[in-house]
Amino acid sequence: MPIIEVKNLSKTYEYYKKEPGFIQSLKGLFRREKLYAQAVSEINFSIEEGELVGFLGPNGAGKTTTLKMLSGILHPSGGEARVLGYVPWKRQAAYQKQFALIMGQKNQLWWDLPAMESFILNKEIYEIPDAEFGKNLDELVDLLGVREILSVPVRKLSLGQRMKCELIAALLHKPRVLFLDEPTIGLDVVAQKNIRDFIKRYNREKKTTIILTSHYMEDIKELCERVIIIDHSRILYDGKLAELINKYAAHKQLTVTFNDHGVSREQVERFGELAEFSPYKIVIRVERSKAKDAAAAILASELPVDDILIDEVEIDEVVRRIFKNTR
Amino acid sequence: MGVIKKHLTITKIAWQRALTYRFTVLAHRLGELGEMLVLILMWAAIYSGGGVIKGYSYREMITYILLGNLINVVVRNWLSSVVSRDIADGTLSQFLVKPMPYLRYILFREVGRISVAFAFSVVSSLLVIFFFTRYFIINTAPLMLAALAAIILLAFVTELLLSFLVGLIAFWTTEVDGIYATIDRLKKFFAGGYFPISLLPPVFVKASFLLPFGYSFFVPVQLYLGKIGIETAALGILIQLFWLALLYGIIQLVWNRGIKKYEGVGI
Repeated sequence: MPIIEVKNLSKTYEYYKKEPGFIQSLKGLFRREKLYAQAVSEINFSIEEGELVGFLGPNGAGKTTTLKMLSGILHPSGGEARVLGYVPWKRQAAYQKQFALIMGQKNQLWWDLPAMESFILNKEIYEIPDAEFGKNLDELVDLLGVREILSVPVRKLSLGQRMKCELIAALLHKPRVLFLDEPTIGLDVVAQKNIRDFIKRYNREKKTTIILTSHYMEDIKELCERVIIIDHSRILYDGKLAELINKYAAHKQLTVTFNDHGVSREQVERFGELAEFSPYKIVIRVERSKAKDAAAAILASELPVDDILIDEVEIDEVVRRIFKNTR
Repeated sequence: MGVIKKHLTITKIAWQRALTYRFTVLAHRLGELGEMLVLILMWAAIYSGGGVIKGYSYREMITYILLGNLINVVVRNWLSSVVSRDIADGTLSQFLVKPMPYLRYILFREVGRISVAFAFSVVSSLLVIFFFTRYFIINTAPLMLAALAAIILLAFVTELLLSFLVGLIAFWTTEVDGIYATIDRLKKFFAGGYFPISLLPPVFVKASFLLPFGYSFFVPVQLYLGKIGIETAALGILIQLFWLALLYGIIQLVWNRGIKKYEGVGI
């Protein structure tokens, strides 16, 4: 049985139209035009226990709204969802003790106090027994290597250290389901990798079910076997990341290097669409099925070929193209 | 035991945080002290010819100001700004996913948060009273003191619920500072914080007894000064209990509405 099940889930936000200017503002005091924004429309998916699924999509696509509904912050405008058998927006304590939500842009730690104080507070709120708290804390602190900073006020920590402490605060009660909204936002490359490695390891060892949203393709590539691509409030793709390439990348890339005097543009144009050109190195895009033939033709030609490589198109590019096509 | 510890932990952590801002807190207290001295100076000038004003002798008036201010610093809080900020910037979401009701969490946190200001204020108020001992009327009737303590305790909880309720306005509008300032002034007026309500026509005194505000200043001091009897105080306590229940009910109602709205705009 899936641990997360979502059926026709929709969310429409209400807001009021606000015209610029003083007179319009005055008018707005008496009569306001109500507008609706569709944030999520009739999405369906299910996730099995232990899966690590990536939500991918541009800003405003509906990723965060979906996570907010699954964690019970928002009531949907339509459809159903069950997480661990619970309806999230009923906000039952029994459910709340089994999941955690981390938002990269919001922190739950007490800003002026050492992170340890926030941990103790969560221990009480989640009613974690002393022994279990000690064990979980030790384990997480060692895994993330933050023992020395536990007694430093949070405001003095770096962004990366703070995110590590946020993770600890959220994982102390051993949630079975974890929602991560942009956990690596704003972090430097090293800190991003640290957080990523931790998430990967934690998912593998604890079998925690994780949904992760991120802008960074690196996060998704490293962590998620399965991706759900959302844009304009709809799901565009739900499946293996690897298959995304087969399905959407109709082309392969041939990188050819030359020696001697190199080549001219006219000489190579006939083999396919030129993505990059210099006399000694070219990148051509060829239809998937014709990639081999094109390579053979280049080798058979009189051109001074030094080396030839056939590559898949980068996943970033595939995703970018998906979003571009829907606009 | 566990339940008590759980809530005291929240209070304790908020208290620790408040300690990090002790100098700001102390600076605020100095300003308040000045305000109280101005009131005393004013009444001293008015009474300079001697006599009694609307049943208040000079000593009674000074006692009214000094004791009233002491009670006021004991019962007050700044919860509305905390609640409105949580709502406006979406911090509320953090609490909605946790297995503890926001109201309960925030009340216990506020107790810890105001503790430092509370301590400074009580000490400074007592110092001023000590300074004016000559004019301060001492009353130690045990039954009266017991009723006084009950009224103050209930007023403390009432003030917390009132502030919480006012803070919930933020669900509907993000511009709340003006509303809060106005509500505070009205409260202070009906509480008798500017001057004893009994200087005004009797209808105001009646209103002050029936509304919850007077119990944070006017009513308990009237009791202390012997201007109302223990029976009236007992009736007052019943009115306070009624208000507590009513406020709690209204909070539930407004909260449920507000949360719907919060979800609607998806802050």
